[in-house]
Amino acid sequence: MKKRIIVIGGGVAGMQTALRLAEQGIEPVIVEKEPELGGKLRGWHVLFPTFTPAEQVLTDLRRRVNERGIEVMTSTEVVGLEPRGVTLADGRRLTCDSVVLASGSTLFDASIKEEYGYGIYDNVFTSADLERMFNEGRVTKADGSAPRRIAFLHCVGSRDEKVCQQHCSKVCCVTGVKQAIEMKRLFPEADVFNFYMDIRMFGPGYEELYREAQQSYNIHFVRGRISEASPTLEGRVQIKAEDTLTGRPLRMSVDMLVLLIGMRANDDNARLADGAGLQRARSGFMAPRDLFLGNVASNVGGIFYAGTVTAPKTIGESLNEATAAADAAVRYVEA
Amino acid sequence: MTFYAPFCLPFILGAAVMFLTLAWKWGKWLWLLPRRDKMRLLRGLPTRRTLQAVGEVISESLLHRRIFRVNPLLGYMHMSLAFGWFLLIAVGWIETIAYLGFRYVPLQGHVFFKYFATGLAHKPVFDQLMDLLLLFVLSGVALAWGKRFYSRAMGLKRTTKHVLGDRIALSALWFIFPARLVAESTTCAIYGGGGFLTGGLGGWMADHIGIMPLLTMESAAWWFYSSCLGIFFVALPFSRYMHIFTEIPLIFLRRYGIRSGEKESSYDNFQVEACSRCGICIDPCQLQSVLGINDVQSVYFLRDRRYNHLRLQVADNCLMCGRCAERCPVDIDLNTLRLNSRDRMRNVPDERRYGYFKDLDRSSGQGRVGYFAGCMTLLTPRTLSAMTAIFEAAGEEVWWADREGGVCCGRPLKLAGETDSARKMMKYNADLFRKHGITTLVTSCPICLKVFREDYDLPGIEVLHHSEYILRLIRAGRLTLEHGSTRFTYHDPCELGRGSGIYDEPRAVIEAVGELLEPASTRENALCCGSSVANTAISDGQQLQIARSVAAELEATGAEVIVTACPLCKKAIGRGTRSQVRDLSEIVAASIK
Repeated sequence: MKKRIIVIGGGVAGMQTALRLAEQGIEPVIVEKEPELGGKLRGWHVLFPTFTPAEQVLTDLRRRVNERGIEVMTSTEVVGLEPRGVTLADGRRLTCDSVVLASGSTLFDASIKEEYGYGIYDNVFTSADLERMFNEGRVTKADGSAPRRIAFLHCVGSRDEKVCQQHCSKVCCVTGVKQAIEMKRLFPEADVFNFYMDIRMFGPGYEELYREAQQSYNIHFVRGRISEASPTLEGRVQIKAEDTLTGRPLRMSVDMLVLLIGMRANDDNARLADGAGLQRARSGFMAPRDLFLGNVASNVGGIFYAGTVTAPKTIGESLNEATAAADAAVRYVEA
Repeated sequence: MTFYAPFCLPFILGAAVMFLTLAWKWGKWLWLLPRRDKMRLLRGLPTRRTLQAVGEVISESLLHRRIFRVNPLLGYMHMSLAFGWFLLIAVGWIETIAYLGFRYVPLQGHVFFKYFATGLAHKPVFDQLMDLLLLFVLSGVALAWGKRFYSRAMGLKRTTKHVLGDRIALSALWFIFPARLVAESTTCAIYGGGGFLTGGLGGWMADHIGIMPLLTMESAAWWFYSSCLGIFFVALPFSRYMHIFTEIPLIFLRRYGIRSGEKESSYDNFQVEACSRCGICIDPCQLQSVLGINDVQSVYFLRDRRYNHLRLQVADNCLMCGRCAERCPVDIDLNTLRLNSRDRMRNVPDERRYGYFKDLDRSSGQGRVGYFAGCMTLLTPRTLSAMTAIFEAAGEEVWWADREGGVCCGRPLKLAGETDSARKMMKYNADLFRKHGITTLVTSCPICLKVFREDYDLPGIEVLHHSEYILRLIRAGRLTLEHGSTRFTYHDPCELGRGSGIYDEPRAVIEAVGELLEPASTRENALCCGSSVANTAISDGQQLQIARSVAAELEATGAEVIVTACPLCKKAIGRGTRSQVRDLSEIVAASIK
């Protein structure tokens, strides 16, 4: 009889894990709480640094999952897990030989940083809102007009002790550069500013993209966080910041303020971890057994991790990790 | 009849040292009082304030009424020691007069009267009365011993850690009354007399101990009693027991209107040395109860300041929430003392730093009502939007101070000890407010409110917190609100409640829009959100720990929405909970008909 492994989460990491398991003669089951597969990538427009449409990646993964005949349970939420099975929200229990947790992470709720006015005034958006608008093909101010000055703010809900998120979300820097370029392509006349603490261009092609943004697109990078935003009478957003390179406070009105929101640990990580005896990092993300030779294993035998459930990651990293997690799980069930 | 025996020497010397030191200390402190305070003292003397002060001395220094409110047993302990000892002295004095008539008797003659009075005919009434009083004091001593081992019985989870001088004085004090009992009983055993206590014990001794050992014992016991008194008196001015005598002038000076200010003054000495180190301030401190920090509380701050080894880390590590001051039985102005210590250690005004004030005022227009949001409200713009909606609904013409060049109110700097820099901000803002002819200044930040009311010179301008202002609008019928079924709970901000005495207005406003549920610690006992601008020492994580504990208490009420009336509290509590946290103005704006 085929060994059965349950993959919790049907985002890119979950799908890739299931595919890799199926390739090796294992029977994977994807349990996804949303009505369809795709996770955070659903609703994303294009991927850095190559501007590859997110839909292209998703479609390919979904097609292969389909062709393989992998069992997928959508709109199904997992409330507890152990190496030999998972408990669903409706009380059912599914049994298996091992579990891969690929439940991802949660986008930071920008309204917590009330000083930026998200959800309070018009024309304050998050990076996720912007991707949705790109996909809808309609990027405008709230009144329907085209923006003439756009500000991006990096590190919203990342590296911010004040909202209990001390970790770096890693992907927002390059997302900010990517989105700034996309805006500039849409509105060549607009001024685009990126307010940052550090620019962390760690991946292949990222630094080049950052350089291109400055040299070819004339996007302005200002080192300094925005301290507060307020609405103006004309419906614009006035921001206050400090340019820490010149050491001067600055104030400017912009048509759109885009908050580059970070990734935070899922709220249900705590419950899942407590039930299964799993360790979590201080950030709330799941902690792998170790960061070198056991980075896809948990501290509990038979439970493995793939994707951003352990830390913020890029799509490419999540896919690689999914392969590694599947292989580790196979070794475990066949041992 | 002579009133001298060699054993009196320790007592006489001790008392002399004590009275000379007291005279020196008081004289110096009074002499160094600022002229203004000296005038207050002189003008106050012939008024009824003096009588009120006498009354307060009796109720506090002797009866310890305020400690009874903390815990009856603790109150009884302090009262039996203070009032009991006072009565022993007073009745002892009357006893001497009753025996000898009005004639000069040296101090030791009064104190050791039982020793000298053996040849006189006994007056049993006094014997019984004095024994009763001695028993009263001894019961207090017994409780003090008990408190060492089980302080919780007296409502104290933690008691003060004492310095060596205090321990010496404390030990001497504990032995004084048992020693007196033994000494008087021995004398009674030899010469007869005494009441139910000394006479009873004396009789038992006479039955069981031979006369020769008794004579030796008598001498030793009186020496021991006198030595305990002497040691205690010498240690007193240098130990916590200085409070016994310092609280009395403090009460008088306070009644004459003398107060501590943002700069240290000689009056502070009276406050600092009036601290008895009872430790009542330790339990209410959230730095202690939540974070386990136990060397910064008011009792330790005052101790360190008194002995001149105060460190900035200790002075800085305080939320200035006022929970301890609320409970202090001596009513010491703890926050102000901490503030002026910070001022002494940190006030380094930088003249260039405020150059930007020039060119900042781009204001125009006028308004009957001025609104000052304050920095923290600008960081919580939901409050700002709500206030805009409220002003609009009430048809109020508002002059927006922040948009017209207003700067920080100055209180955060003041609380950090940078009082001179704070004054610059206060002056700039006050000039700006006056220029626009406003008659009412509304602020939604209690931190700003407190400094506007206490430190700004704003003649003709009434300063209101938005809770007071909104309540006026409602009562005047300018704001009609929908009463819903939402259950709210209210967190009292420190600066608004204990700081400015505003408790009822926010509650009345909440009751106008929904149901109000009170948390366990409320009003004067309300907890601090933990993010106080007054504390620059604890870490963000520690602030969060306090916020979580506060949020837990608020959530325990079962309310759907946590309401507060301070933007800083709102932000702080919001971090510690997933429940909704709203400013008072938000729930009002949402209920406007």
